[in-house]
Amino acid sequence: MDFTLDAEQDLIVQTVRKFADRDLRSWTADADRAGTPPERLIATATDLGFFDEVSRDDPASYAHLTRALRGFELGRGCAGLAALLETNVEPALAVATWGQAAAKDALFTSLSTGGLAAFAHDSRGLLTVVPAAGDLHVSGKLGPVPALAIARHVLVAAGGVLMLVPTSKLTLTPITPSGWRAACWATAQLDGVVVPADHVVSSDPAAIATLLAWARVSLAARAAGVATAAMEYAQAYAAERVQFGQPIGTFESLIRLHDDAVTGAIAARLCALHAAWALDARRAEALDLASRARVLAGDVVARATIDAVQIYGGYGFVNDYPVEKLMRDARAFEALHGDERLGRVLTERRLQEAV
Amino acid sequence: MDLFHDNPLLAGVRQMLGSFALRSMRPIAARHDREESMPWALMKEASPFLSQTAALDGRKKLTGLEDDPDPKKPRTAARIAVVGSEELGYGCAGIALALAGSGLAASPVARMGTDEQRAEFKKLMSGLDDQGRVKVAAMALSEPATGSDISGLKTIAIPDGDHYVIRGSKQWITNGLSAAVYVVWAQADPAAGRAGVRGFIVARGTPGLVPGRKETKLGIRASETAQVHFEDCRVHKDMMLGQATSAEGAATGLSDTKKMLDSTRPAVGSQAVGIARAAYEFLLDRVRGGSLHGTPMASHQHIMFELAEMQMEITASRMLAHRAAWLADHHQDNVAEASMAKAHGARTAQLVTTRAMVLLGEEALEPDHPVEKWYRDAKIYDIFEGTGQIQRRILARLLTGQNPT
Ligand SMILES: Cc1cc2nc3c(=O)[nH]c(=O)nc-3n(C[C@H](O)[C@H](O)[C@H](O)COP(=O)(O)OP(=O)(O)OC[C@H]3O[C@@H](n4cnc5c(N)ncnc54)[C@H](O)[C@@H]3O)c2cc1C
Repeated sequence: MDFTLDAEQDLIVQTVRKFADRDLRSWTADADRAGTPPERLIATATDLGFFDEVSRDDPASYAHLTRALRGFELGRGCAGLAALLETNVEPALAVATWGQAAAKDALFTSLSTGGLAAFAHDSRGLLTVVPAAGDLHVSGKLGPVPALAIARHVLVAAGGVLMLVPTSKLTLTPITPSGWRAACWATAQLDGVVVPADHVVSSDPAAIATLLAWARVSLAARAAGVATAAMEYAQAYAAERVQFGQPIGTFESLIRLHDDAVTGAIAARLCALHAAWALDARRAEALDLASRARVLAGDVVARATIDAVQIYGGYGFVNDYPVEKLMRDARAFEALHGDERLGRVLTERRLQEAV
Repeated sequence: MDLFHDNPLLAGVRQMLGSFALRSMRPIAARHDREESMPWALMKEASPFLSQTAALDGRKKLTGLEDDPDPKKPRTAARIAVVGSEELGYGCAGIALALAGSGLAASPVARMGTDEQRAEFKKLMSGLDDQGRVKVAAMALSEPATGSDISGLKTIAIPDGDHYVIRGSKQWITNGLSAAVYVVWAQADPAAGRAGVRGFIVARGTPGLVPGRKETKLGIRASETAQVHFEDCRVHKDMMLGQATSAEGAATGLSDTKKMLDSTRPAVGSQAVGIARAAYEFLLDRVRGGSLHGTPMASHQHIMFELAEMQMEITASRMLAHRAAWLADHHQDNVAEASMAKAHGARTAQLVTTRAMVLLGEEALEPDHPVEKWYRDAKIYDIFEGTGQIQRRILARLLTGQNPT
């Protein structure tokens, strides 16, 4: 048992932290207001190797632990931009792991020329997937999905199937939700979109569960980063703001708000890292740990961002200061893929009923 | 303690404003939130019954009944305010503030003003402004460096013949950009310390009164919030509140200002209850017809116990607000109850909207989703009119006589 980072992990954390502190934090407010990422984002992130890190031929070597370490730092920088920077991982890993040659060719050719891919999980069951002459026909509503508005491909998990769909086949409606506003969200209405058999990536429930675990760990790590950022801002503000003749950071009730949130953020980060480690080690409990990490991180980021606004008082409620955005951003961590607790409860109930 | 049990007047107010909330507020709420615009058209439409100067008009306008002239008899104003506020908060908290936010300025004039000052305030508020909009008022107390600790006001009022010269900046002022009249608080007698604070009625257009920048906010975006600057603004001394003995007794500077805040707290708590109820009913509606993997949603404890919890909290918050209002109407001290009502309502609104978002999952990511808006709106109730911490500080001080830090 050793929590020390190895040299490569350490280098990645230092590099991404610098990128988050220097670039993401300086872009985040304007990107949020504009509802679009800064032009430099993709180029800068490409230079840092964000988009082509999944090996087509050796996806099993992918390190979720490194990704979680990085995701935490990105979350500290900007949740919306972090979502864009992380968007290729699930599609690339899934297609490389389970996909057929045609899907691999399509996706990795696109990725190698700067194309992005999104991941959509039909957690509300709004899509119907019907087999027809060896292909699949997909209808219904997709999304909201981050990165979908600018992605060339979307990996869709729906109806027990995982499929790769070029976005050129979809009629996209770009949207700007209240949180992660710069994340280039879109929804799509599908009307019998044909997915050829060679673009069906998997219909193995275990594969879909694994994919969701990757996504959950990534979300959890980023959420812990957002919670941490909220408290970094709040602590700095509380040290400066004076009321009743003393810095508000000296009031015990605010110390406690801050302290509990920091405890939560540390725990959430560790749970995400632990789940990531379990994924890398192919441990049987990895999927469960990933789901638990997300439950915890969702609670923690919700609480921490609401309390950061509280600590800022009136300034917390206005857009000139960084924390109201964090409160908006917090929601997507719990909303994407649906209510995590509900999924856990239903699964456990089915297991118990089967006993 | 439920105010509706045997009170047709309050049940009537609830019914009327409840249907106004659904019919007139809800359909325009998302647009004004998105555009950050005041609902001027609705404000005009509602002005025959929802007066911006309700605190000065008595209850006649809303209920058709005259106030009882006997000052010893129980009033109904506080109870009408909590019952009505819940309905307006249920419609849309931002629009509610646009409709009723002027009351924050009207209430100190009603409490501390002379007859002449009340008449002047009503005159300034009558008719339409130069853009054809109903007139609104602003209550300017908070400053950039002074929110919770109002004893630290930096704005000063310097006597100069028959006038005072007001100098200073105000922060986060509701209606701060558009108000036809401002009630601004300033230190008029530094030697007197806290007792030297006074409110002044200042008409829009008075030289030196400079409305500042409008804020972009997390929630209640249909209500305008702006800075207001007083750059050597000359105000006649007759427009200083608290110079005469008011209906409440002699005005005493800051403590009277604080009393004014106490009086609006139950209704503010009630508005928060309205938001919570909106989110709760939205979920309940969804649950009633809905199914989850083939089983009725109503058969799932995971969902239904959350709704039961929400119902408990909403009911508890409402009861606290009703009790605080009942005490006020019966001329009894309600400082503790008012703080409890405000703080509890704020907590309930945040709790219910946050949980509702989680239960809705990805649906709540859709732009213009009402529950997401209510989640953003709810937060302000723990901040303005005394933060959650300040309410607990008031309660703590009442327990031992000491301010804990
Ligand atoms: C949308 C909006 C509308 C508003 N409308 C008006 C208006 O119309 N007129 C007006 O005058 N003002 C208005 N305000 C201002 C509002 O009343 C203040 O924001 C509020 O009183 C809090 O003050 P502050 O923002 O300075 O926070 P601060 O007082 O700086 O507080 C910051 C944090 O410190 C905490 N804190 C402060 N003192 C203590 C203590 N002793 N113990 C423990 N914790 C403490 C607070 O609870 C808070 O968490 C409005 C504000 C907003 C955001």
